[in-house]
Amino acid sequence: MEIIFMLIPIAIIFVAIAVGIFFWAVKSDQFEDLEREGSNILFDDDDNNNESAVVKPVVKHDN
Amino acid sequence: MSNGTNCYHCGEGVLAADKNKYKVYIAPEEREMCCPGCMSVAEMIVGSGLSSYYEHRTDLSPTAKQLVPDELLRLEIYDDNEIQDEFVYQDGEIKEITLTVEGLSCAACAWLIERSFRSTKGIHFINVNATSNRITIKWIDAQIKLSDILKRISNLGYSASPFQADQHELMYNKQLKSYFRRLGLAGLATMQVMMFAVALYSTWFGDMEEMYRQLFRWVSLIVATPVLLYSAQPFYSNALRNLRTRTLGMDVPVSIALLGAYTASAYATMTGTGEVYFESISMFTFFLLFGRYLELRARKKTSELSANMAKLIPNMALRVDKDKTEKLIPTKQLEINDHVIVKIGEVIPCDGTIVTGETSVDESMLTGEFLPISKTVDCGVYTGSLNVEQTITVCVTKTHKHNLISEIIRLQNTAQSSKPQISILADKISRYFVLALLIISAGTYLFLLGHDPDKAFWITLSVLVATCPCALSLATPTALTCATSFLSQRGILIRKEHVLESLTKIDEIAFDKTGTLTKGTFSLTSIKSDNALQENELLRIATSLEQHSTHPIASAFKSNIEKIQFDTTENHIGLGITGTLGDDTYKIGSSTFTKQTSSKSDGKEIVVYLIKNDHLIARFYIQDEMRENVSVTLDYIASTGLDVTLLTGDTENNTNKVTDGLAITNKKTSQSPERKLTYINQRQAEGKLMLMVGDGVNDAPVLSAATVSVAMGEGSDLAKNSADVVLLSTDFIAMKYMLATATKTYKIIKQNLMWALGYNSLILPLAMSGSVPPYIAVIGMSLSSLLVIGNSLRLLK
Repeated sequence: MEIIFMLIPIAIIFVAIAVGIFFWAVKSDQFEDLEREGSNILFDDDDNNNESAVVKPVVKHDN
Repeated sequence: MSNGTNCYHCGEGVLAADKNKYKVYIAPEEREMCCPGCMSVAEMIVGSGLSSYYEHRTDLSPTAKQLVPDELLRLEIYDDNEIQDEFVYQDGEIKEITLTVEGLSCAACAWLIERSFRSTKGIHFINVNATSNRITIKWIDAQIKLSDILKRISNLGYSASPFQADQHELMYNKQLKSYFRRLGLAGLATMQVMMFAVALYSTWFGDMEEMYRQLFRWVSLIVATPVLLYSAQPFYSNALRNLRTRTLGMDVPVSIALLGAYTASAYATMTGTGEVYFESISMFTFFLLFGRYLELRARKKTSELSANMAKLIPNMALRVDKDKTEKLIPTKQLEINDHVIVKIGEVIPCDGTIVTGETSVDESMLTGEFLPISKTVDCGVYTGSLNVEQTITVCVTKTHKHNLISEIIRLQNTAQSSKPQISILADKISRYFVLALLIISAGTYLFLLGHDPDKAFWITLSVLVATCPCALSLATPTALTCATSFLSQRGILIRKEHVLESLTKIDEIAFDKTGTLTKGTFSLTSIKSDNALQENELLRIATSLEQHSTHPIASAFKSNIEKIQFDTTENHIGLGITGTLGDDTYKIGSSTFTKQTSSKSDGKEIVVYLIKNDHLIARFYIQDEMRENVSVTLDYIASTGLDVTLLTGDTENNTNKVTDGLAITNKKTSQSPERKLTYINQRQAEGKLMLMVGDGVNDAPVLSAATVSVAMGEGSDLAKNSADVVLLSTDFIAMKYMLATATKTYKIIKQNLMWALGYNSLILPLAMSGSVPPYIAVIGMSLSSLLVIGNSLRLLK
């Protein structure tokens, strides 16, 4: 049982780290626009497809 | 007519005539567009390699408006340093601006704007916030101009403009962030302390070595300390402020309970005797902060929306100098005897007299009179009115400071001071409750000190914890927050806090007519044929003629009907139009223009006559269109027993034409802004509480004076800024929603207060007798708070 004298302080340190990360996130405006950032990952994935979308019409007119 | 396909960009129906005209290839196929505007926006999006916008958008895009060269020229005004002073922040060579954007409907729009600027030279930073409809841009002025940025955004189909930031907004933003940090800390800490508390609770039933008990207590103390010192800090500063102003607010007992419980628990931990309440302190702080946070967030949202509406469009005037050169300058710089050109559809920038040209002027913003007034050389025109039919030159007679609109603003500022104050129910109750609570606790302590000094402190403490005004302090803010967010989802913005409660105490509602009860636009109600021709054919002739006029009545004839090409047409300002087709001459217009006598049966509406070769062939009946559900809403208001008064600048005759048959108790016609104000002040002096609903500049003073005021979303900025509530939806039923929600909110607040007070008065004698164990006190307090929150959440439905 003496191990909890060790484990509980460690848990507290983790909580302190979590609080630190949370404060940093608030400070760097990460909670300003929740709607937006959620879907951002979808857009950036598609970067390469976009270029092909521009090229396509040219190909089509060549036909 | 629509051919069944819709514009791929904005979703509008594509006209049959435009079929296959505007096409853009967006993978995997050609898409049809409704207009050149949408087509150029779509081409621009695809051309910049951003077509995945179309895959990800969750809403249709706004219909693109192409800026005419004149408007583009106006954007260049924003490059003027003097004008930028008002809204641009400069740091070295980098300038920063926040713009409000119209038409931003989903996250994809935000991405589109950001991406299209990302690789632009001179743009240092761009962030689009889709929640608040704002863009923040930092740019280097030497490399790109602000007007170019605005043009780029408008090329993408959005309209961005600088705006007047609400003074409160910055403060809310800062407060909200600090509350969020406090809330997060309290949340994380509460979870930890609760966990240790469960372990400690178990000692009530079983055994635990003293060593471990002490460990849990010490750890709880360490984790709860930042909550008490940092998270709960707003309560202390509010309590101090209350004490300093010699009032009692909810924060006084909250602070006493928190600090008292903490000190006692810390003492218990150090000496190893008595109970600890760390979990209650943390949870209580968390709940209270959460309520405050939600309240603050709702308030920030409304202030953001109303700031977005207050766009800063510098008013420009086109000045003609002696040497005939024309120059666009800010209206502030206009001087007496300057000559100014006002084109069709432009707002007149100054008070003055017409020097050349004849036109009709829409002065509805100032007078409420919705029909344009014909004006010719030497007639006076006023700032803010709209030039409808012809380009005119105006000679300035009054400087910017002394024009009519500034006079109205002054009137409005003085009116503000006469606004009656309403005391808020919760404030009153809390004051008495807090006082009683403090007296009882002090009494208990003094009594026990004489009888049982050992327990005096602990029992007094449990009185404070058990009666902890948690539920009571959540009762009003949670209900108001839920009601505010419910209403804002339905396009009703509550701008001031007192509104929801004040609304339930109103005795009389006063409405403006034009623009408030009516839409302020014209619509065709019926056609009477005086000839063998079909209605369709008559409408075709009328529409084809009226398209050559900019008079507001002509807008009633807008339809997708195929137009006839007349050989010649002539526009007679303020009267009508003539057109020739082959050997036939057509005339359309007012009774004087067409030499018709208006018969009695034509009483109710405005009549437009159509003449073919001196013979009357049709009469068109036109009315200022009512908003949807006006009569339903007025009936509802009458059924709640409120008096309804109409305060309008319009004539009695015109008013009766529109408002006959509506549930209106009292009509006041031909009212100037001063007379409207006198009426409201007089009623309020009699002790009546007034609700004023209006839209125009002429309503602004009354809106400021009335107990509660509501402005229409399409109304003038001045009216919106003086109102407590802004109705964004065009449907009048919003009024009914607002009143009904206010009544319901008041009921829920009363229920919440009843419950909180009932629970507290039940637990108080028990706690005083020392028979409430700490965990019961905590559970009771939490359940009571949850019940109050749950009850308030019913308002969201």
